[in-house]
Amino acid sequence: MWIALVITHGLSAFLLLGAITHQVVSVWAPVRARAGNFVARFRAVGSANYVNAIIVLYIATMILGAILYTNYRITARLTLEQGRYWKSFGAFELKEHLIAIGLATLPAYWYFWQPSQDAEHARTRSMLTTLLAFVIWWGFLTGHVVNNIRGLGT
Amino acid sequence: MTSRFPVFAVTFAAVYAAVYYFAVDYNWALFSYGPAVGKWTLFTAPASAGPTMYWYGWIATAALSGALAGLVACLLPTSVSRHLWSGFAWLVPMGAMAAFAYLLSGYWTR
Repeated sequence: MWIALVITHGLSAFLLLGAITHQVVSVWAPVRARAGNFVARFRAVGSANYVNAIIVLYIATMILGAILYTNYRITARLTLEQGRYWKSFGAFELKEHLIAIGLATLPAYWYFWQPSQDAEHARTRSMLTTLLAFVIWWGFLTGHVVNNIRGLGT
Repeated sequence: MTSRFPVFAVTFAAVYAAVYYFAVDYNWALFSYGPAVGKWTLFTAPASAGPTMYWYGWIATAALSGALAGLVACLLPTSVSRHLWSGFAWLVPMGAMAAFAYLLSGYWTR
């Protein structure tokens, strides 16, 4: 069960990672003219269309992570402590707190991506998106490294 | 901001982030969980066996505080709430994130 959960958690995080990365790139480097090459097309996505999906995926990934955390706490974390993998341990501790903080920004993130807020709150929208992107990337990379050290359900 | 929802959302994000930091640092958990025994306990009462998880309780404390603050902010007159800067929604959480990075920095310097 734990292996299935961690795989599902990882897949959900992967989808979330793709969506938020498209969005944050399009926010900071929007394409003004017709997109020609791959990079331009990556930047030219309709970033506002990702908002609801990002929110749903964030919450779903976090819920799966919260369930997995109970197993992590009595298995993988002991391996990290006993093996003195302090950098990875600390990075995962930080992941927990970043994810928790990111959750709180979702209502504001949703609101400032509404079409009516386009011009007035562009900076707030950009910074909220960037904050979430950082949280999601940190969570993804840290979780991957820790799972490499000691996989859940093994 | 004159609409109620953005006032709530910005206040919630800012207050939650600040309270969450102090909840972790001072262990203000609304409830705890013992993963080895599968039991929930109130506040920070330890599990009967094995480790005690406070993370869920910290999130609950922060969420409740943020929600209450958000509701109070919504009750303020528009003449006051329109001065609420939308940037608090990202600035305070970023500050909390930096504070956590500092709090945990010892793990990366061992």
